[in-house]
Amino acid sequence: MKNSFVELHARERAEALLDDDVRELVGPLDNMISPHLEPQGIVPESDDGVVLMRGTINGKSALVISIEGKFQGGGIGEVSGAKIVAALEKALEDNQAGKTIYPVLVLDTGGVRLQEANYGLLSISEIQNAVIALKKFVPVIGLVPGRVGSFGGMSITASILSYLIATKKARIALNGPEVIEQEAGVREFDSSDKDLIWNTLGTKQRLATGLVDEVVEDTVDNIKKSVSDAIDAKKDAHRTENIDFYLSLLDKLDLSKKLDIDGYRKLYSEVKSEKHVIDDAVGSNTPGTKSRGRVWFEKLTGIKNAKSSVSTVLHAEKDGKEYVAIVPDADNKFPRVRDGEVGLEEGFAVASIVNKVVADDADKDIKRPIIMVVDVPSQAYGYQEELIGIHVALGSSAAAYAKARQAGHPVIAFIPGDAVSGGFLAHGLQSNRLIALDDTSITIQAMSKASAARITQRTIAELEEATKHVPAMAYDIDNYEKLGALYKLVKGIGSYDATDENVAKINSIIDEAIQTTVGKPADLHFRYETPIAIESGRKATNAVRKAVFEQWNA
Amino acid sequence: MEKLHFSFDTKEPIQKPVHVGVVASGDLEVIFRPTTDTKSDINIVTGSDGFKEVWQNVLDRFFARYPIQANIEINDFGSTPGVVNLRLTQAMEALKDEK
Repeated sequence: MKNSFVELHARERAEALLDDDVRELVGPLDNMISPHLEPQGIVPESDDGVVLMRGTINGKSALVISIEGKFQGGGIGEVSGAKIVAALEKALEDNQAGKTIYPVLVLDTGGVRLQEANYGLLSISEIQNAVIALKKFVPVIGLVPGRVGSFGGMSITASILSYLIATKKARIALNGPEVIEQEAGVREFDSSDKDLIWNTLGTKQRLATGLVDEVVEDTVDNIKKSVSDAIDAKKDAHRTENIDFYLSLLDKLDLSKKLDIDGYRKLYSEVKSEKHVIDDAVGSNTPGTKSRGRVWFEKLTGIKNAKSSVSTVLHAEKDGKEYVAIVPDADNKFPRVRDGEVGLEEGFAVASIVNKVVADDADKDIKRPIIMVVDVPSQAYGYQEELIGIHVALGSSAAAYAKARQAGHPVIAFIPGDAVSGGFLAHGLQSNRLIALDDTSITIQAMSKASAARITQRTIAELEEATKHVPAMAYDIDNYEKLGALYKLVKGIGSYDATDENVAKINSIIDEAIQTTVGKPADLHFRYETPIAIESGRKATNAVRKAVFEQWNA
Repeated sequence: MEKLHFSFDTKEPIQKPVHVGVVASGDLEVIFRPTTDTKSDINIVTGSDGFKEVWQNVLDRFFARYPIQANIEINDFGSTPGVVNLRLTQAMEALKDEK
């Protein structure tokens, strides 16, 4: 097609958006190659699939970050992620110093690069943090041209961006249809039904239901004009701030029948936003569904058989600290969250709670610490979740936690259970300190082995072999420690061993962690700066950051 | 994945580094870098194992036509010899580009 933007590669897309005079940062000649692909027998790329380019858009200073969808499905790994984070942080610094620069993200991405799983999750949470900080100064415009589209953790990021432009060749979702089929069965979502996929995840439907802001014809000129206009108009869709609207929508949802496309459009247009306040959890006589998260939440807050108006989301204040947990509920009306997954209601409810904590403390000098009790086996895999836009639910809670931290609340994640994928991005990874129990039952990853094997076209045996060589691919907490992201790995306390003595010990570790945030920047840099991170865990990250910083003003 | 190395005696040093291509399915990226050595070293990472002879042939033909002195890196994701030749030729074009 003549003058098509979609047909271009990432570098050409960046050049097409910018005026003539451009400068690429940390490009293919700088030798910043992923160290994690070759050990798994995968051919790397010299720019690791991300192009950073500075220049102007109709005369305005801009940074274009363009993801190459054709290299490894546009997945975010350690190096590509660090490139994006470092460039966004420099753009933030410039904006803070009064040098206005407009960031534009061209998303063509499957989300986390599964071959670097836990690095992808860390990086994506760091990208989200930088976007939230930047939005105080400039709109952060997103563009989803299409081919891969936008999936996974990068769709959570997309929901946080100020304004989202797409073409009709794009799809936007959290979980891809193949993954939903793998996790929840073909009756939940048939990944061979292309019409169903495009009608559900395509941008026509997304535009009608508030998940993208503009769908433009695929020409270079049209797309550049839309981006430029969005910058001029300082567009902001506030997509992750419609929490009461979505909670009202979920109240009205008829779960007795399967939601379809027309039914959802009707519901979406009819819902009236009503104020929702999720009260503190209270004690009861009937125990909730047992889980590691629930056991620790109840012990840390002293609430027996805690229950709440949203049965899967518990929160309470104890000794000046706000505890938040997402827990399973075997009888939940949403079948896809019964094992503790983070679904629509969970994401929006957590966002509502955290936003209220921030609002309540807005005038206080000392902000209340927020403690997330993390036991999330994944995000919810379901058809109606995708139709409504579960990525926005997860984006809302991630954004709420990031804003709380940036407002000065110490945000601490305590991990006695699983910390997986979108669930972990929504509830855990926006914390400035991560504390985990050293228990073999804990899974910490981006995708189940069955799904990861299917998507990366390997056998489970091959996948397991790869986990032996690349710690970020592993599923256990001891390998996770090697990445350097943890504040503390607590030895000698099992996932369910919430005895009085152990609870006191965890409480004192949480208090210590809170103390270490006092007077420190409210960013996520701690993860790069631990001895393990510097020595080995984030070596590539730190090298990339240094290179981007050196070249930023060259 | 297989790593291959080739070396050619050459005499026309290139003046600047260039990069073309993308590691997409059926495609490759090529980087030429200037060298002060009197030979050209070619390092290839390819996703398709067992094609060393084919690479040798493609490179023989390329260097017979363009005896450039350069360090060459190639990341290949299953491209055909025709595509390899095309990208190498595009890299030559990029060398001539004044930009």
